[in-house]
Amino acid sequence: MGLLTILKKMKQKEREMRLLMLGLDNAGKTTILKKFNGEDVSTISPTLGFNIKTLEHKGFKLNIWDVGGQKSLRSYWRNYFESTDGLVWVVDSADRLRLEDCRKELSALLLEERLAGATLLVFANKQDLPGALSKEAIREALVLDEIKSHHWCIIGCSAVSGENLLAGVDWLLDDIAARIFTAD
Amino acid sequence: MDIQGRNTVCCGENVEMLDMDEENFAVSSSSSADTAFDAIIGCIEDIIMEEEFQQLQQCFMEKHYLEFDDSDENKLSYTPIFNEYVDLLEKHLEQQLMERIPDFNMNNFIELLMQHKEEVPGDIFDMLLTFTDFMAFKEMFLEYRAEKEGRGLDLSQGLVVTSLIPAGSKHTGSIESQ
Repeated sequence: MGLLTILKKMKQKEREMRLLMLGLDNAGKTTILKKFNGEDVSTISPTLGFNIKTLEHKGFKLNIWDVGGQKSLRSYWRNYFESTDGLVWVVDSADRLRLEDCRKELSALLLEERLAGATLLVFANKQDLPGALSKEAIREALVLDEIKSHHWCIIGCSAVSGENLLAGVDWLLDDIAARIFTAD
Repeated sequence: MDIQGRNTVCCGENVEMLDMDEENFAVSSSSSADTAFDAIIGCIEDIIMEEEFQQLQQCFMEKHYLEFDDSDENKLSYTPIFNEYVDLLEKHLEQQLMERIPDFNMNNFIELLMQHKEEVPGDIFDMLLTFTDFMAFKEMFLEYRAEKEGRGLDLSQGLVVTSLIPAGSKHTGSIESQ
């Protein structure tokens, strides 16, 4: 590792966190990002690249990375793993047909060495839709209880209304902070 | 744990320095390791201020600027370009340091850096960090492209130049009349 990379890591220890938001396409990742950042969410088109927002929350500087989820883009996810403190996995709770696909992608991510230290937050998104599965049903479908390698939590939310987004991020911050900033 | 030990030593030095304060001996208290560290930081400063370094950046931007668009969403292709950029600057820095400092060893320096991180001048630290900041990197490319395409920041629009000399009057003496 070179000098600049090390300098960056040194700096990041100062109440700064990197969150990586992934999930299948149309899960609502960008909507969550924009809603959280107080932006308009009425016209969001599929992400073909990636978005980054830096925001302050509870005295932390959060760098949130949201990478497009289409099948053809998923092989690029790995380029964004480095230095991730928290992984936010976003699920379209109404997309029953692709839940198995969703489970497979998540379990593959959890095997990644560079994500080994990251806390996992699962957002069971689109709870505002009539056909949405409950967070308990999502928890079962993704077999979350089997995860022993990462701290995790699942939260039902609606990116459109903003419901529970803060609750999720607060949990994530607390878990990461307890892990990183008290360990020193 | 290591750091704890160091702090204790530092405190001891401080006490001594206080005792000798009247004689202004504080300056001479730095060890040879500190001097070596300061010399490297000074050297880094020189390297990043040099023409060669700027040219390296210019050249890199020239090669890739057309890939960058001024939209909020980033293309996936930015990421490998960014990694290449960090790598390029990092290699240049290391190579230059090795040329300038006879027995320079990056690993030793990094260790020193961890111990002295509070003492690195803020501006140097920030400048080095900017090189690894993706958003700053993107911004730099967008500015370069805007400039290339003649859309650069046009300061003349914000400045209204008004002549102090009433139309028709002679140019001479205008300075005195201000």
